[in-house]
Amino acid sequence: MISLTSYAFVSMTLFTIGVMGVVSRRNVFVIYMSIELMLNGVNLFLVTFARHHLNLDGQIITIMVIAIAAAEAAIFLSVIILLFRSKKSLDTDMFTALKDKESK
Amino acid sequence: MIDIVFLALSFFAIGGALAMLLNHNPMYSALGLLICVLSIAGLFALLSATFLFMVQLIVYAGAIMTLVIFLLMFLNINEEDMPEEPNKHKYMILAAIVMIPFNLVIIKAVSNLPGSDLSIVSEGFGGIKDVGMHLYTDWLLSFELISILLLVALIGTVVLAKKKKSRGAK
Repeated sequence: MISLTSYAFVSMTLFTIGVMGVVSRRNVFVIYMSIELMLNGVNLFLVTFARHHLNLDGQIITIMVIAIAAAEAAIFLSVIILLFRSKKSLDTDMFTALKDKESK
Repeated sequence: MIDIVFLALSFFAIGGALAMLLNHNPMYSALGLLICVLSIAGLFALLSATFLFMVQLIVYAGAIMTLVIFLLMFLNINEEDMPEEPNKHKYMILAAIVMIPFNLVIIKAVSNLPGSDLSIVSEGFGGIKDVGMHLYTDWLLSFELISILLLVALIGTVVLAKKKKSRGAK
């Protein structure tokens, strides 16, 4: 009963929920967690196909993705701390420091 | 038996992801994502990726999610710090509608592949010895580049988190 399609369904659902989070939410933390969710969905897909072909390359790429996610977590969270200190808000629409002033 | 385990794990993964998406409070969102990450670790174990199962538990659930939850508690976020999201559901439905064709294409493509039983391989495949041999021979360059990336991220975090005063004194 468990086939490739069911694993593909789970990972595509996770990826879609991540995209929905990035598009619809305005809380920085939730956007960050949605990005992590998309990475997890892709990881599941890679591991599924590594098992399907009995080839370890997919698992190695997954390890690389997890390492990149860890680096991303460190940078993203320190940027969030800086932004929260200066603006006292988690709203992404508040962070307009780099925006063109005349277009406001 | 394995079917039931798969169904339960995927149910918890998708349910945790939905809890992350729909909760207004980021604390509950982080807990939902934690459930989702743990279930994905279980799915890795079902796919006989034992080393990745461990890595997922240690790095994602143990390090990244703990860091997020620690920060959420550390910043002491009140209700007024959180943004109002009046158009949340509208954008969610829009994003779902945009993503449906991609999902259909990929699931159609995958279902046309020759089937194979994804039962658990008894030994060897996915263990720490196999993965290590592969990582340190065929993927050595990528491994070194990733380690440089992690070092750069470490230095960048220290620079970003420094007080502004010490940067001006330099």
